[in-house]
Amino acid sequence: MVGLGDRGLTMSSATRAIATDPALATPPASAGRARRSRVKWGPLLLLLPAIAVVTMFFLVPLVDVFIRSVTDPEPGLQNYEWLLTNPVNLEVLARTFLTSLIVTVVCLLVAYPYAYLMTIVGERARGWLTLFVMLPLWTSILVRTLAWMVLLADTGPINDFLEAIGVGRQPLIRTTFGVALGMAQVLLPFMVLPIYSALAKIDRRLLAASSSLGANGLTSFFKVYLPLSRPGIFAGSITVFILGLGFYIIPSLLGSPKEAMVSSLIYQQVSVFLLWGQGAALGIALLVVTIIILVVFNRFVRGASLAPGVEPE
Amino acid sequence: MHTSSPGRRRARTVTLGIAAVVALAGCGSSEPEPSATYDLGTPVAGEVPEGVFEGVTLTFAGSGGIFQDGQTTAAWTPFAEVTGATFQQDAFDPGKLKAMVESGNTTWDLVNTTQFDTARFCGTLYEEYDYSKVDISKVPEGTITDDCMVPQILYGLVVAYNKEAFGDNPPTSAADFFDTEKFPGTRTVSMSQYVDPQMLEFAIVADGGDTANLTPEQIPTAMEKYRSLGDDVIGWTSGAQAQQQLESGEAVMGLVWSGRGYGAAAAGAPVAPMWDEWMVMVDSTGIPKGTKNLDAAFAAVNFYGGAEQQATMTEETSYGPVNTEAKPELDETLKTWMTTDNLETGHYPNVDFWVENYDALATEWSGWVTGG
Repeated sequence: MVGLGDRGLTMSSATRAIATDPALATPPASAGRARRSRVKWGPLLLLLPAIAVVTMFFLVPLVDVFIRSVTDPEPGLQNYEWLLTNPVNLEVLARTFLTSLIVTVVCLLVAYPYAYLMTIVGERARGWLTLFVMLPLWTSILVRTLAWMVLLADTGPINDFLEAIGVGRQPLIRTTFGVALGMAQVLLPFMVLPIYSALAKIDRRLLAASSSLGANGLTSFFKVYLPLSRPGIFAGSITVFILGLGFYIIPSLLGSPKEAMVSSLIYQQVSVFLLWGQGAALGIALLVVTIIILVVFNRFVRGASLAPGVEPE
Repeated sequence: MHTSSPGRRRARTVTLGIAAVVALAGCGSSEPEPSATYDLGTPVAGEVPEGVFEGVTLTFAGSGGIFQDGQTTAAWTPFAEVTGATFQQDAFDPGKLKAMVESGNTTWDLVNTTQFDTARFCGTLYEEYDYSKVDISKVPEGTITDDCMVPQILYGLVVAYNKEAFGDNPPTSAADFFDTEKFPGTRTVSMSQYVDPQMLEFAIVADGGDTANLTPEQIPTAMEKYRSLGDDVIGWTSGAQAQQQLESGEAVMGLVWSGRGYGAAAAGAPVAPMWDEWMVMVDSTGIPKGTKNLDAAFAAVNFYGGAEQQATMTEETSYGPVNTEAKPELDETLKTWMTTDNLETGHYPNVDFWVENYDALATEWSGWVTGG
């Protein structure tokens, strides 16, 4: 923070030095550079509140968590050794990524047609459709999950219906299906909105152009429309996937122990066993694996963007 | 100018910024203030001089529900009335306690915790008791298991079974709990986050073992014994759920907290306790390290342990009293569930063993409760 002011001073003295030193005086280029620098740094001041908040509430705790993972209860890598040699940890980590992936796919399959519908209906209908997407976001996650518990219960209305039509009662709650359903419902808006914003930008004349060039509807969709909507798909998928990794309440309430995700493992280490080093190691592992997945994704999937909402060049 | 490229400068600025913030964050912990001392003479359980703690505020972090309400009615409110102290209530969380003590800002004076945790963290997270300031002559024998605790309640991990399912031939041993041929039907056991070493001891007892002589090899074997029940075992993740499973008949047998078995019976379910073999449990009253009111906390624990207070606590909560002279008035149902009347058939926990082998226990337990 002090550094920024310091930097401003340095820049103006640099400009002075350039102005007075004939050897450096190639006016247009260097003056231009100095001005550009000043213009670049000024707006950065606007970032100060964000930097302060991120540092205080994200970076510092993160560094603290990392330090704990290699010092608690004693310096060394024993917490990571425990993490890698205990099959439960690896199984639950793998289960966490798999569950989040399932939820992402489910959200995508539901959200894409929905977002498409939003682009073709009139202003009024779009308003309603947007409201229906946003409505769950304005309701407490706990209330929604409790509602699912009632609906999915072995003696709940869905099972009553299934029995009435002769299908028989099915296990819905305490299954991966139940967890995925509950999570997908909560995360759906994060998929619908970016996809809608990508679809809304697509110039529909391109579809007309492709059909005038002989493409049928399916070909137009897969060759023209889908590729153009990719930024929205990636933005939505990454957001849903990452948010899904941290879910705790829904897997606990709608799942059995066999659906527990890594957050409940971390909670247990931190708040029950008081083995903070091991909890910290689990947290760091989740972060690192997530970053690796994102980097690989970004690197090898064409059109992917690590900054959702920002279109890749 | 020439030695310092913008990139390097920026890196240094960021590093300095982080260092400054880290340093600031570290400033939170300072030397704790010394705790005030009081000379209250020789303690007698349930008694405290009038008006001695005028202006003192004590905070009890308990486990909520009728348990904490009953404790408050039985002891904390009367204590506040007699001594002039203010009593505050909070919800206990071990992780929060650790954070509190580590940051040097202990705001709890008394907590409800497990005897395994006071033993594990005696002197680090919990204050050692000065037993000359608490009258422990009436505390049930063998229930003080480390220097940082006085028992808070005496309950049990008990087999509660459905009387209609087994009629005249009910289970009579820990081994019967695992015998699905003689006693068919679904069992429920803890799959709660809260690790319970005594559930493992129960399996060891069922195999003919002795809780006084445990070996680390028995830990995975004990857990395996529950897994071997296969489809005949379901889990409870909270006491309320255990009770509900017994009431609805979803489970014909359960290894549950005595208070929850009683809860099912009191609600009218045909559920009875098996006292032939059961696990004696106590909760600790722990005093968080760094409390500003150590002597007042001792006095409160001493007051809490009075015969009258304990009788009221038992009547309010159904949990067994920790004063051998307490005479609670019980209804017929609660009488059949009273742990303190069945101590001779109870197995006491091997606290030292579990403290020593805690990591192995934690690993097994987290595997059990995450289906791993």
